Amino acid sequence: MGLLNVFQRISQSPTNPHPTAAPRTFDVADLYRGPVSTQGDTPDAGAPPLDEKLRQAYFWIVNTAIISPHYDIEYNDGPPQSFVLGDSKSRLTLPSGQSYSSFVLLPILTFATRRKCLFIGGPGRGKTASAILMGVLGGYSVREVRRAMQHGHPQMTIADLLGNPLPADLVNAQRIEDIRISWRQWLGMRVKIIDEYNRIPTRTQSALLTVMGDNYAEILNHIYECPDSAWFLTANDDQGGGTYQVIEALRDRIDVVVQALAFNPRFLADLLTRIEENIRPDEVVPRQIVFTESEVDRMQEEIRAVAVSNEVRRRLEFFASQFEFCEVAGDQFEYKTKDTARLAGVEWHLLTVQETGRDRLKDIGCQTKNGLSVRVLMTLLIYSKALAYFRGNQIVVLDDVRQILPFVLHDKLSPDSEAPFFDAPGNGVFRADRIGWLRKVFDLSCADYDRLNLDREDPVAELAKEFQRGLDGLSESETRSRLVKIERLIAEWTKGRKLYGHIYDDVLKLKYLHQRYTNYLRWLKTQ
Amino acid sequence: MVENAVSNALASILRSGRADFNARFAAARRIHSDLDPGAFADFLRTAVDELARAVEKVRPDRLGEVTMAAYEAALELIGQKLAGPGARLASIEEGWRRILPKAASLVAAAPGRLIPAVCNAVHQIASTHGARPAQWIATMEKLGPECGDAEAFLKLGQVVAWRAGLAHLRSGAIATADALPEPLALAAVGAKTGTSWASVREQLLANSWFDPASGSSVARVVAQAGSFKGFGGLFIEPPIVASSGEHFLVQSDRECWLLTADIFGATFHRASVKEFAAKVPPGLLLKGSRVAFNGQSFELPTIGELTSAAANETTLALTSPLTHSITLVALR
Repeated sequence: MGLLNVFQRISQSPTNPHPTAAPRTFDVADLYRGPVSTQGDTPDAGAPPLDEKLRQAYFWIVNTAIISPHYDIEYNDGPPQSFVLGDSKSRLTLPSGQSYSSFVLLPILTFATRRKCLFIGGPGRGKTASAILMGVLGGYSVREVRRAMQHGHPQMTIADLLGNPLPADLVNAQRIEDIRISWRQWLGMRVKIIDEYNRIPTRTQSALLTVMGDNYAEILNHIYECPDSAWFLTANDDQGGGTYQVIEALRDRIDVVVQALAFNPRFLADLLTRIEENIRPDEVVPRQIVFTESEVDRMQEEIRAVAVSNEVRRRLEFFASQFEFCEVAGDQFEYKTKDTARLAGVEWHLLTVQETGRDRLKDIGCQTKNGLSVRVLMTLLIYSKALAYFRGNQIVVLDDVRQILPFVLHDKLSPDSEAPFFDAPGNGVFRADRIGWLRKVFDLSCADYDRLNLDREDPVAELAKEFQRGLDGLSESETRSRLVKIERLIAEWTKGRKLYGHIYDDVLKLKYLHQRYTNYLRWLKTQ
Repeated sequence: MVENAVSNALASILRSGRADFNARFAAARRIHSDLDPGAFADFLRTAVDELARAVEKVRPDRLGEVTMAAYEAALELIGQKLAGPGARLASIEEGWRRILPKAASLVAAAPGRLIPAVCNAVHQIASTHGARPAQWIATMEKLGPECGDAEAFLKLGQVVAWRAGLAHLRSGAIATADALPEPLALAAVGAKTGTSWASVREQLLANSWFDPASGSSVARVVAQAGSFKGFGGLFIEPPIVASSGEHFLVQSDRECWLLTADIFGATFHRASVKEFAAKVPPGLLLKGSRVAFNGQSFELPTIGELTSAAANETTLALTSPLTHSITLVALR
């Protein structure tokens, strides 16, 4: 019983101390908070804010439950120390700010935002254990979580996954509405775990897709509406192999992919302690870090309220605009996209072999076979807000986006390993290191953004801002003047400028603005 | 071994729960590798035993719970070197031994709250630069036993902590004192006999420099808050001040603090440099070592030419290049 206290210690607040605005009110109750714990005579009335509780949960997991001494999400308060090791010049950075382990942080953020997280990695690396911990954080007992966990296997049927009609009703019912369904209990849980999802047969994957994508289950015209939940899926092979190919729509529903990194044997003593004391971390989760349903609801609202500055948003727009454009994919301007070529079944190499005059080494868009969907962009924004919230901030900084982006885009942006970028010296490693590649691409995009000085010289942003002031009261002459401005800008761009992804999207935006003004002008003439 | 050197009451409790107590000690040692068995045994024999004897006289039925709570607290104190030989803060043990036995009936009612509360309060006061833990201990030793229940004891402790130098607790402490019996509230703030809490309260709220003990308030230099970092203070270079509502912001080098100050003391709290905006308040004139504000004038030759000034309704804060302290002048 005594050792339980060791495993149930949670980090003292503040868990992410940094200078904040000076407090204007002080709580007399703080006098009695200190190094000696109050012992359960009355419940602690001063519960910490939810972001602090989330951090306490993270630190408890990373210090006590899951041995993950990796700080691959790096933040710096000042210049970090950096070392080069080995003949291949491997760079080790010692971050100067509070940094995090993706294997613990991403599930925590997924839990807080009720999104979907896929754990990948070899067997026995803690994927299922991490998912179970998230279920316990959600207020369920370990037994409930284990029993509700869905284990993928080749014989899994839809009935196994969702439930069965009651046999007596099947026999006696005169109408389909009279058949009652015994739904599986896991459908109503706020934390759902699917173990080895890539072993579920394709037909059953479709049923799972309906639950994951649309949040309902259907059997014989009967609908079960599932509550919003956090989903945790595990797979041993992230290529969707295993027993069955995972259908693309199901893969696309996953929001983040996190890899279980290798265990560091220097921490074997911790494993030994667990064996000797027979302690299972999922059974000793401190109740102070367990979240109620209403707390998670509130946390979601608080996360949504985290702001994204214009500067960060513009860089993200610029980055996202690099990838979809494919000049040779279509004749109509709007169809010059990689998606057009993919839908037409055109071979990729037939597209890449055609010369467009662009620098294929510098053009970031040449590195990928696809672009970013709306769903992915929304996921990126939500996780960026969640990360900022987790760090105790009310606004997303560029570093938040940079750190979370590789995990969101891991399975979403497909690299073209034949692209010249990967053949450049030092870049070959990015064929295997997806996370590193995505960060590199983002960095290159930000560098391009700075080189083009888009924070200060962005004529499209000026025109968009002008449009956003509204059309009410806009005169015919002013409307014509704005139309001319747009046309002049496009004409300027026709002079010897290569068509890159961001210019393509800018031109489409100009076309949108032009069309809006044109429609307005037509309407004005009828007044 | 410990059982033989303590009172029979405590020995009996320790003996009956030996396995559990030993397991707790072992678990605590995993967290605090420096936990010294000898120092812990000494603490049990002295501080814990004194409390146990006192509780046995008034509430023998609660001795078990009190012992358990005291044992847990002792593990944390000795493990963190906050009590016992070589303790970082000797006043915590002093507070335990002077306050808790005298309030034994209250401790018996809520040992899990009061024992940690007293330890944490002393720790916090002793860790606050300029605050007076000895004053808090002496006042609580005297007034604690007069409390009717544990809740009143805790409220009293908050008011007395303010009086012992935690100036930032001012408004909360005054509100807390409202909930105490009048004689206790007046005693907690050190008010003169024959006064009423309502009148003392009104004056405390109106003037940060009202002294309940003397009942006086007159414009005067009342405090020098802060000092050079080399002498245990906060400031690397002489600071400058700016107003911030009812408090002040202080900046030195590239760091910033919020200063709260009143008749009972002055405390500093970390703030963001971005908040600091030095502006001379309207109606304030600085000339050399002389300052004029709202019809009052002060000459401060000892601190030389003034570098910055800030004011609120009751206080003027002044700095100079010759000192690392902030001179506080009561305006009423």
